[in-house]
Amino acid sequence: MNEKELIKRAKSGDFEAFTVLIEAHKSKIYALANKLAGNSEDAEDIVQETLLKAIDKIDQFRGEASFGTWLYSIALNQARAHYAKAKQADLKPVEEYLPGAHEHGTEHAHEGFTLFDWEDPHRIMESAELKRVIDEEIAKLPYKYREAFTLRYIEELPVKEVAKIIRESEAAAKSRILRARLALREALSNIFEERYGRQVQ
Amino acid sequence: MGGKCSDFIGGLSDYIDGEAEPELCEEIEKHLGQCENCRIMVDTLKQTVSLCREGREEKFPPALEAKLNNLLKKRWEEKFGKKS
Repeated sequence: MNEKELIKRAKSGDFEAFTVLIEAHKSKIYALANKLAGNSEDAEDIVQETLLKAIDKIDQFRGEASFGTWLYSIALNQARAHYAKAKQADLKPVEEYLPGAHEHGTEHAHEGFTLFDWEDPHRIMESAELKRVIDEEIAKLPYKYREAFTLRYIEELPVKEVAKIIRESEAAAKSRILRARLALREALSNIFEERYGRQVQ
Repeated sequence: MGGKCSDFIGGLSDYIDGEAEPELCEEIEKHLGQCENCRIMVDTLKQTVSLCREGREEKFPPALEAKLNNLLKKRWEEKFGKKS
């Protein structure tokens, strides 16, 4: 049975048709929720809220986008709603991520200060630990940055699409994505350098 | 653009993602040839994204599956009645 037929049946009250429709998309929705939430407990809440909302709104589904895209946009809205009230710290301005920005100002930013060169982080950390560390650091980003970073680099959406979802201009979306990337790089670099130092000793 | 690190940091993402204009690419590459820290910055920013993409498949939790089946069925019946 094709998607159109399944949607028609679901709209007329066929629960089985609805379960077939969501089956194909729920892992993707869970993966998205997991990245956006940064923890599995909240991710499960977001998935649950998304699917309940899909039941409530199934009559309003007009088929302009695919069912998967529709579900995905509900999940994004649910995740946003989940964190809308959370008061979160902001990240530093882009310039302050430059090496030595604090020590010397950006005019002579690099004098006497060399960034830690990661080479290959796999040589200082097992893959599982590396994944855990990265997930923890992504989860620590303030939501609006975690959201922009996830959409751009994990979900691999173009900047234009990210801007539309986060309801910002392309320039603002770009800046948010870059700050998230710089913050994450800095956090990981500190962890890798500390670990590397321990191994060298 | 005089080749200072602060001059092009705003364009770094575009450069790394291969979306920067050729002129900007040229300027950045020229600067990278002279500045070790910026070379490291570009390399580690690239790695930041590639590491985040490693081993990304998340399994749908079986406990959530069981919980959802009941919950969705209940909501469905509230909406459509107990016919299906």
